Amino acid sequence: MNHSLSFSYQLAIVLVMVVIGAIAGIYLPWYALGILFGLLAYILRIPTGRAFILGLVSGFLLWAISAFWMDGQHPSSLPGRMANLFPLGGSIIGLYAVTGVLGGLTGGLWAWAGAKLRFK
Amino acid sequence: MKYIKSIFPLALAIIWTYALHNSWGTLPPLGKLMSPFHGFWVNAEAPESSELTEENLQIPGLEKTVTVVYDEMGVPHVFAENDHDLYVAQGYLTAKDRLWQMEFQTHFAGGRISEIVGEKGMVSDQFQRRMGAVYGAEKSFEGMKEDPKATETLQAYSDGVNAYIESLTERNYPLEYKLLNYAPEKWTPIKSALFLKNMSFVLASGTDDLKMTNILRKYGKAVAEDLFPNYPFVESPIIPVGTPRDFKPVPIPESPTDFIGLGSAMKTPEKDPNIGSNNWAVSGNKTVSGLPMLANDPHLTLSLPSIWYQMQLVAPGVNVYGSTMPGTPNVIVGFNKNVAWGVTNVGSDILDWYQVKFKDASKAEYWHDGKWKKTTMRIEKFNIKGKESFVDTIFFTHHGPVVYLSHEKPFKSNIPVGHALRWIAHEKSQELTTFYKLNRAANYADYTQALTYYSAPAQNFIFASNQGDIALWVNGKFPLKSYTQGKYLLDGTDPKADWTGFIPQSHNPHAKNPVRGFLSSANQSSADPSYPYYMGWQYAPSERGRRINERLEAMSKITMDSLRGLQNDNFNIRARTLLPLLMAKLKSPTGGVYAQAANELKRWNLQNAADSQGATIFENWVSLLHDAIWSDEFAADENAPMNSPSVDRTIKMMQDEPNAIWWDNVKTKNKKENMEEIISASFKASIDTLVKKHGPIGSEWAWYKHKQTGVRHLIPGMDALSRLNIPTGGGGTIVNATTTKTGPSWRMIVELSKEGRPKAHGVYPGGQSGNPGSAHYVDLIDTWAKGELRSLLYLDKPEDATGRLRKKIILSIKK
Repeated sequence: MNHSLSFSYQLAIVLVMVVIGAIAGIYLPWYALGILFGLLAYILRIPTGRAFILGLVSGFLLWAISAFWMDGQHPSSLPGRMANLFPLGGSIIGLYAVTGVLGGLTGGLWAWAGAKLRFK
Repeated sequence: MKYIKSIFPLALAIIWTYALHNSWGTLPPLGKLMSPFHGFWVNAEAPESSELTEENLQIPGLEKTVTVVYDEMGVPHVFAENDHDLYVAQGYLTAKDRLWQMEFQTHFAGGRISEIVGEKGMVSDQFQRRMGAVYGAEKSFEGMKEDPKATETLQAYSDGVNAYIESLTERNYPLEYKLLNYAPEKWTPIKSALFLKNMSFVLASGTDDLKMTNILRKYGKAVAEDLFPNYPFVESPIIPVGTPRDFKPVPIPESPTDFIGLGSAMKTPEKDPNIGSNNWAVSGNKTVSGLPMLANDPHLTLSLPSIWYQMQLVAPGVNVYGSTMPGTPNVIVGFNKNVAWGVTNVGSDILDWYQVKFKDASKAEYWHDGKWKKTTMRIEKFNIKGKESFVDTIFFTHHGPVVYLSHEKPFKSNIPVGHALRWIAHEKSQELTTFYKLNRAANYADYTQALTYYSAPAQNFIFASNQGDIALWVNGKFPLKSYTQGKYLLDGTDPKADWTGFIPQSHNPHAKNPVRGFLSSANQSSADPSYPYYMGWQYAPSERGRRINERLEAMSKITMDSLRGLQNDNFNIRARTLLPLLMAKLKSPTGGVYAQAANELKRWNLQNAADSQGATIFENWVSLLHDAIWSDEFAADENAPMNSPSVDRTIKMMQDEPNAIWWDNVKTKNKKENMEEIISASFKASIDTLVKKHGPIGSEWAWYKHKQTGVRHLIPGMDALSRLNIPTGGGGTIVNATTTKTGPSWRMIVELSKEGRPKAHGVYPGGQSGNPGSAHYVDLIDTWAKGELRSLLYLDKPEDATGRLRKKIILSIKK
């Protein structure tokens, strides 16, 4: 197992995951994000120790930034309403964060699963 | 072991994903809902720019191209080349803004909420179906199908809704589908019938026959008739007293044999005293323009998405603007080049209960007219989300369904209890034809002809034309009854208690161009006691009607603005009579807050204005006083629910019967209270509750803060999608009938013009879009709350340059 992945290699993985996750988001069901991250971790032989964190970071960035971007493209009262519904006291930053965490955990768990299947 | 270890993360990922893909109790499917690519983020809509944008949409089923322009309120103005395309477009565009609401409301109407929310929807679902909602919709659908035009309209509307549903993918479903985790189903024409039937549930399902029977059983006929008189002491009936009669009455059926009945604790829906409406028309000699004007504000439960959806529908032979009801074609309240019309509910008694005598526990036969007759059965299947489906059998006598509730214990099953429901909403009917024809009406004759098709829920149809006519028909199908028949539970074995016919439609109470120059209705008594038929004993309290008539009598040189003032009138006409009576009997209060409150009342200008403290004190006092007088005798027994007498009757007692036995609180032993004591004690109690609720007397006692008007989302408890604490005045017996949950759900004023250029203003407390992510979701609420109106854009053609158009959509044929 390769324990010393370079920072730039890890950054490249995150970028690939974010791009693939975004394309999957546009065309496939929401959970395709996880399955594809799992496949990536398997194919790219991402070490078990790094897979979870890389999937988590990628999923978090993808969902949080996309949510932020969607909100910017379509400014409306909806995020505020949803942030009261959940309840996050109306905090839209909190809503981006929760969105990111859900995407992150989905990505992280699947990436971990993919890596684990490769490195039994 | 190694193997298990290696698939453990996979198992975890799958469980996690499964958990986030499904809803758990009230928790929505978080993965689907929060995904920025699939979830609620997709539902956000940026406010449209002030530039006119153009869009082309292809939809199946059109015959020609349809042009739609949206104004700045988000109202679509639809220009089609034939009726068929007009209604395809109406269905499509309504669904585009309101799909979830249309489906949810018809699911509710059809008793299918448990398919969405699971078992907790069952109580409501079973009740809807046992009341015969689906049965009634099927009957009314049969009636609709007898009119080929109505059939075509319904089918086209349905095709339009389906064209929209088919254009959707999961990610652009309306928000509520994502929250509740389900998908829209195909629309069918019968859903429109269900929707229309549901209006009878909303407006004409209230019943207190049982409560009246319980009173009859406890106090006897004399007391029941004394405290619950069949015509109010103070009234200003809808049809002006002295209106000449243009028909020869038909004979009245013989009265049923006297019957007391068993009574029971069977729960039946209460009449909501706050659901009512105002409308009026004034003739040209009272207006500045010299032509009639018409105003309408139907009071319903205030909800989001709004119950109304504004549209202009234009095709050869029709150019109509007004409020539509999502789920059903045509404009319901509106105007065209020549006429305007509006509706308020008629509180007549069109729902009766018959105590049924079954032969045995099988309920296969029942006793009627001296013989055993066969019941019929109807099977209703409930598909409950997350549970096995449930099959229910409803038994019908010739009266209607036997609505007995499950809490009747099995050990009673040998006793043939239960009541059959006879309800106008179960009749075959053709309401759709009425609205189709009203949309195209050009004069009084067209209007009266359109009304002949209408059954239920009965409405006071106000009318004005640019030929100078004003008219009002109290219209619907009314059973021909003997005097007070159906005030109490009826004997299901007695053929004389049956409904044997209907008041001929042309005999319905009506008036045209009265000398006084105006007509109005506010749900009060349809006509004075000289009207030859019995229609019901209890209508809405007379206050709103009296105030409107008093103002219209006094007003001259009427304009749009003066009528808007009347729609927003906050004068408390009840207080004008009642407050002096109360203050005269109130023992001079000592002690800070009581004296302060009494002074506040003395200073009060009798306006239920938003910031009025006097209104808060008065309304709260009257409500507590009413309880103090009556609840000891009339609300004591849970197993025998009873009505309490009206405020009208109570005022009469205050004026003329200061020593009536009812003043005494029978719960206090060894003490006999008198009128003064009850009035003074209830004053103190009401001030105590206000102090407890709002602190020391001051701005926190403002009427709007106490009343707490809100416009709530249709899903109970969805505060985040609701608008609460709206600063408005008014009240249940005020012309501005805004209460905590109900109020003017659409305000419209129309000024007709000889040239066919009517000017109209309107507003409703909501917005055109049902999407909480749209700028048009609640954008009209502030205007509404301030008592202002928007000018309604009435176009001749889509190219009319007005500067108010924001969006143009060309609907073209999808090959």
